[in-house]
Amino acid sequence: MAKVTREMVEKSGVNVDQLVELLVKNAAAELTTYYYYTILRVNLIGLEGEGIKEIAETARIEDRNHFEALFPRIYELGGKLPGNMKDFHDISACPPASLPKDPTDIKAMLTVLVNAERCAVRGYTHICNLTAGKDHRTYDLSLSILNEEIEHESWFSEFLGEGPSGHFLRRGETSPFVSKFLK
Amino acid sequence: MKKFNEQELAQCDGKNGALAFIAFRGKIYDVSSSFLWKQGVHQVLHNAGRDLTDSIEKAPHGVDLLKKFPIVGALGMD
Repeated sequence: MAKVTREMVEKSGVNVDQLVELLVKNAAAELTTYYYYTILRVNLIGLEGEGIKEIAETARIEDRNHFEALFPRIYELGGKLPGNMKDFHDISACPPASLPKDPTDIKAMLTVLVNAERCAVRGYTHICNLTAGKDHRTYDLSLSILNEEIEHESWFSEFLGEGPSGHFLRRGETSPFVSKFLK
Repeated sequence: MKKFNEQELAQCDGKNGALAFIAFRGKIYDVSSSFLWKQGVHQVLHNAGRDLTDSIEKAPHGVDLLKKFPIVGALGMD
């Protein structure tokens, strides 16, 4: 634990125990989404599915990166990850992004993907709201993740025909916002 | 529609097998089936068995998310 780090956050008026619990739940959401997206990506096949596979893969890898970026902050603040993987899954801040009954139903696949991203967007907006002007490091981390989750939402939303977002798929590297926390 | 007072609502806190009910703008919603309301707690900060009108209006999601949950009563004195 980074003792003074925690003290500074406590003095700013943030309930650190609640914040750590939120970070753990969102870390669980990232790692479980990485797992469920693996299954979704594998099943994105055929003429329609192949067109979505690349962004699903990018979102999958970036969600894993979010987990990697989150867990050090949890420990810095005096928290820890659950010792049991099943417990970790069950406390996730977002529901499982399970494979639809008919994986060839591309709209159903996209709906699962966009709903997962929307849950994440809400979650990190919530953490940003709690930490803005108080816990600068958690805010910076959450804002970086939020920026990527918003792009993921936009990609899947566009495929569902909900309107343009102006974003474009990654060109090579992943996590343009979060990578500074991974070095 | 069944009327709940605050004490009756408080008993539906989602803990120890109890159903998880929340009040919003006078209506009582059953959120027991939601993955996001396990043990009657939502995103660490919000507890079932209470009137969450203020919290929901400030939440990072629209009130339309409540539409998927059944309305099981109304909050008020009877």
